[in-house]
Amino acid sequence: MTRADRIRAAFRADWHSFLRRRTAVFFTFFFPLIIVVIFGVLVQTGSGGGGIFAEPPGYYVPGYLAVVVLFTPLSRVGSEVARHRDGNRFEKLATTPLSRGEWLLAQTLVNVVVIGLAALMLLALMVVLTGADLSVGVSDLALVVGYVGLGVALFCGLGAVVGSYAGSQDGVIAASNAVALPLLFLSETFVPPEMLPAWFRPAVALSPLTYFSRGVRAATGGVSSVVAESAFLDPHVSNLFFLAALAGAFLAAGAWALPRTD
Amino acid sequence: MAATLVAEDLRRTYGETVALDGVSLSVEAGEVFALVGPNGAGKTTLVRALTGTTDAEGSVSLFGADPRAVDPERVGLLPQAFDPPERLTARELIAYYGGLYDEARDVDAVLADVGLTGDADTWYKDLSGGQQRRTCVGTALVNDPDLLFLDEPTTGVDPAGRRALWRLVEELADGGTTVVLTTHDMDEAHRLADRVGLLADGRLVAVDDPDALVAEYGGDARLVVETDADPGAVDLAYPVERRDDRLVVSGVEPRDIGTVVDALETAGVDYDALTWTEPDLADVYLRLAGEREHGATGRDGPALAGEAGR
Repeated sequence: MTRADRIRAAFRADWHSFLRRRTAVFFTFFFPLIIVVIFGVLVQTGSGGGGIFAEPPGYYVPGYLAVVVLFTPLSRVGSEVARHRDGNRFEKLATTPLSRGEWLLAQTLVNVVVIGLAALMLLALMVVLTGADLSVGVSDLALVVGYVGLGVALFCGLGAVVGSYAGSQDGVIAASNAVALPLLFLSETFVPPEMLPAWFRPAVALSPLTYFSRGVRAATGGVSSVVAESAFLDPHVSNLFFLAALAGAFLAAGAWALPRTD
Repeated sequence: MAATLVAEDLRRTYGETVALDGVSLSVEAGEVFALVGPNGAGKTTLVRALTGTTDAEGSVSLFGADPRAVDPERVGLLPQAFDPPERLTARELIAYYGGLYDEARDVDAVLADVGLTGDADTWYKDLSGGQQRRTCVGTALVNDPDLLFLDEPTTGVDPAGRRALWRLVEELADGGTTVVLTTHDMDEAHRLADRVGLLADGRLVAVDDPDALVAEYGGDARLVVETDADPGAVDLAYPVERRDDRLVVSGVEPRDIGTVVDALETAGVDYDALTWTEPDLADVYLRLAGEREHGATGRDGPALAGEAGR
């Protein structure tokens, strides 16, 4: 049995487990829908006035995508780790050939597929409901897919860390929200950096989601003053590489943090 | 015969609680070794130490290697309170765990072994408690291990299912599989085990084959008389003590029952029933584990009976 076979077996088990939790499936896709409806349709963007929704609709593409790329893997993997720990499943897996890294990779792949579909739906909703201009080329679309995949992987790794150290599923949810909420709004997603105090702006670079936002915005043709300043690097690719490095680091940290002992 | 498992001086604490206090044991290839003991005695911690799923002081060797370095293809584990993904069917669960090994048994054969052929396509959460436990046992057998750890495999399993699992363990042992199991069922330990280890307060207080343990610690055969009479009311050449609403006459052989009955009649003692019992593993358990419990609490059976009347 090769590593790929083991990951495939774990992927299949997690895929079926997820698809059979109807409530989880429903809210995975309902969440982005309601976000776009609330902010894109009711609040509306690009009004030209002040406030955080004053930019053109296309500016918020990374923000809307970040909702699913950030929240869903963080809470799903965190909760799955808690469920595995509560059910002594890690104890069982520790005596099989499946490594912790392979387990996390299988979880990540399931999340990439699920959240990839949710992101696709979200992009379509944005075009239809908010009038966002997303007429991008194939290469840029491929970049967006890459950003979504790497972003999901990164937050799966972070979810594994959170799940490993939170004492319960309730703790995972609370910790995930505490981590995700500031990241969502302070990563050049919905709030342009110029709206933040000057002293705080450097801190935005500490959020991994910032590189996701910058990269997706560059690929989808949105405006980003920060990206424009990075003249010596192609913003499409530099953010992708940086996000890839962070995703690898977070996945490694997540795999390392997963429980092996009681 | 070569030792499959060797553990020396295992120690494990959780804060102030001592879970394992210098446990050493050796299990031979093809042997069935049962661990018995009260709740909290350290059985599950010992299984975890032996499988490398907890950090313990001391040393453990499985097939001559550290448990975390041993070939996982050779080891099977059913953890205590194992709760696999609930929205997979029994078949999918066994296929999942089988899919993690280089060589796995046929899923249908495993399902047949644990008596789940008819419910193979039912989600785990919709199975009965006993069927769930049998599914979990199946996940431990799927890689056809040489060394199998079963932590309370028959908890929640009905008598028929329990006997089916006993036959399965016996067949595995006959085929050369080494089995380490924990149980609270003394009949199970006596029937299955070549040797039984009794854990109490994190110490292995006795290890031997079940019959030898019974002979050494089980005490004498007893005649139990259900009566309200005072122990001193009957003139007998045997020790007599009161336990709840019974008199327990120790050391009575079957041929001597008539003597006791005559003595009861002579004393005019009314009784509802007589039961003659041989000592068994439960008596060993109660004596060795009970002594420790008594030492910890300062209370024992007769004292509790007396308290009830206060």
